[in-house]
Amino acid sequence: MAQKSNNPKQSKILRQSLVNRFVHWTTALSVILLIITGLGQLPLYTRYNVTKLPGAAWLGDYFITIKLHYLGALGLIFIAAFHIVYAFARREFDIFPRKGDLKESYQIIKAMLTKGQEPASDKYLAEQRVAYLFIGFSLLLLIATGLIKTLKNVPGVDLSHSLLYWNTALHNIGTGLIVFGIIGHLAAFLLKENRPLIPGMFTGFINREYVKHRHSLWYAKLLYSGEISESSLEADENLKGDGNSRSNTQTHTSI
Amino acid sequence: MDNNRNINDAISRRTFFKRTTAAGLLSALAVTGLNKPVQASELGAGELGTLIDLTKCDGCKNYATPLCVEACGKHNQERFPEPQKPLKKYWPQDKVEDWSNKRDLKSRLTPYNWTFVDHVKVQYNGAEQEVYVPRRCMHCDHPTCSKLCPFSAITKDQTGAVSIDDEICFGGAKCRDVCPWGIPQRQAGVGIYMEVAPDLAGGGVMYKCDMCVDLLHEGKKPACVSACPRGAISIGHKKDLRALAYKTAEEINGYVYGDKENGGTSTFYISAVPFEAIDAAIKGDKVSKKDTAPGRPGMPVNVENYLSTGKGMFFSTVIAPFAGAAAAGITAYRTLKGDKVKGAQIDLKDQREEKSDGTEIK
Repeated sequence: MAQKSNNPKQSKILRQSLVNRFVHWTTALSVILLIITGLGQLPLYTRYNVTKLPGAAWLGDYFITIKLHYLGALGLIFIAAFHIVYAFARREFDIFPRKGDLKESYQIIKAMLTKGQEPASDKYLAEQRVAYLFIGFSLLLLIATGLIKTLKNVPGVDLSHSLLYWNTALHNIGTGLIVFGIIGHLAAFLLKENRPLIPGMFTGFINREYVKHRHSLWYAKLLYSGEISESSLEADENLKGDGNSRSNTQTHTSI
Repeated sequence: MDNNRNINDAISRRTFFKRTTAAGLLSALAVTGLNKPVQASELGAGELGTLIDLTKCDGCKNYATPLCVEACGKHNQERFPEPQKPLKKYWPQDKVEDWSNKRDLKSRLTPYNWTFVDHVKVQYNGAEQEVYVPRRCMHCDHPTCSKLCPFSAITKDQTGAVSIDDEICFGGAKCRDVCPWGIPQRQAGVGIYMEVAPDLAGGGVMYKCDMCVDLLHEGKKPACVSACPRGAISIGHKKDLRALAYKTAEEINGYVYGDKENGGTSTFYISAVPFEAIDAAIKGDKVSKKDTAPGRPGMPVNVENYLSTGKGMFFSTVIAPFAGAAAAGITAYRTLKGDKVKGAQIDLKDQREEKSDGTEIK
C-alpha cells in the first residue's frame, strides 16, 4: 500500500494518511453500531416506541442487537489493537497526550471564544490530544469490561456476582463517557475555527494556509523534514502577487 | 460450530449414560432418601435439582388452592410488593403492570404468585388425558435472564437457585423477554426506579421463584416440595435427580422435560404424555381463552439457549485484538518499507537533478 505524500506544489497538506482514516472510520462505525445495539440491551426501544418507526422493529429484538453488538465489538477491538501496534511500530505519537495539554487546551478554547492569540500548535491541538485520551480511555474501559461480559455469556462460565455487578456498572458508566466524548468531538465543529480540519478525515488533505497559521509547529516540522518546501509555495504566492507571504512564512518557520 | 455442538451433545449423552449405569445404586438410594427430612449437609453442598412427576400431580383437586401454591405464597408473603399508588403509566406507553389488586389470582404467575398448577386436557393415544403441571422458574444451568440483565440484578448461587435482587432490579422486564418461558413477572410502583425518574424510566420490580434459597441454605426443602401431599415434587442432588428422572421416564415409557431445554435446567419434569402435546394443549387453551397476558408459559421442547453461540462469539472477540495487531504489524512494515523505497527514489531523483545540472555522476 503506497502512502500518499505531500506534494510540495499543492496548496493542501496531507494530514490524515489512509491508515489513519481507516482507523478513525472503523472506530467510528464500530462505536456507532455498539452504541445503537448496546442501548438495545436496555429495554429502551420498545418502551419509547422507537421500534414503531419504519424499519426499526429489529431494534426491539435483544438477540439481533446482541449479535450486532458482538460484531461491533469485533470491529472495535480489531481496530484498537491495530491502532496501538501501528502507532508503536512507526513511533507515531502525534496524538498521544503530553504534559501541559490541559492548560494549553484551556488557552486554545479561550482564544477561540475571545478571538485572542492561540498558542502555537503541533499536528494536533492540545485539546485534540486531551479528547483522544478521554475517548481512548473510555473505549479501553468499555473493551475490558465488555470482554468480561462476553466471557460471562459463554455457557458454563459463572463469574462471581460482585465482579459482574461492578463490571456491569463500569460498562454502563463507560457508555455514558463515550457518548459524552462523541458529543464533545462533534461539538468541536460548531466552532468555525475547527472546521477546516474536517476534510482531513475524508480526503486526507487540509488547507496549507490553515496549517501554516494554526499548526505552525507541525508546519515547521514538515518544512524541516523536507516533506513540503517553502519555495514552491512562495512561487505560487508570488504569482498571485501577495507580497506579505514571505514575512509571514518566516515568522512561522522560526517558531 | 454445529458439528462441535453435536460432538459435545454426543459426549454429554455418552457420559450421561455411563453415569446413569454407574449411579444405578446411588439413584436407588436417592429414591428412598427423598421423602426423609433432608439433612443440612445433604442439601448444602453442590448443585441441587428438583423433580416434578406429572404422573403423581393431581393439581390438589380436592383443595381450593394447590398446596404447593399456597405454601409458596405463605413462605414469600413478606417479600411481595407493596406499590406506592397511584401508579404512573410507562410513559410514553399507555399502560402499567399492576397485579396488586389481583393478589388472590392463583391460576398463573404474577408478582404475588410465583408458582401455579396449569391444567390442560391432552389428546394422546386416542384418549383425552388430564394433565396438571406445576409451573415456576426452571432455574436454568445457563440462565439467560441472569446473563443478560442490564444491571446484573439476577444471581445464581452454588445450589443452582436463580434469584432476582429486588433492590437492584429496574423493572425493564428484559429477563421475562429473554426467558424461554417468560417466567419473571412485573409489579409497578416499587423498586429503585421510584427513586430515579419514575415518570420517564423503569417499570417496577420483577418477581419469580428463587427455589426458597433461604430454606436451602438452612438445609431445608423449598416450601412447595414440603407441601406436596403426593410427593410429586422432590429435591436432591442434581445429578441424582436427573438420573432418577430418566430412569423413571424409562420405566413408564414416558418423557423428561427440562434437561435439554435452554441448555439445561435444574428442574426435571416426568410425564407419560409427550411434552409436545402438553405444549400444544397449553397454547391451544390460551388461544381459545384469548389469553395473551404473561404468566402462563408453554413447554417448548428442546428450546435453544439464546446464548448457545456465546462461546464462538467470545472467542471471536478474543481473537480480534491479535488479528488487529497482526494487520497493524504488516501495514506498518509495508509502509515503513514504502518510506524507504520512497526515500531511495528521492535520492535517485536528486542525483538525476544534479546530473541535469551538469555535474558528473557515473
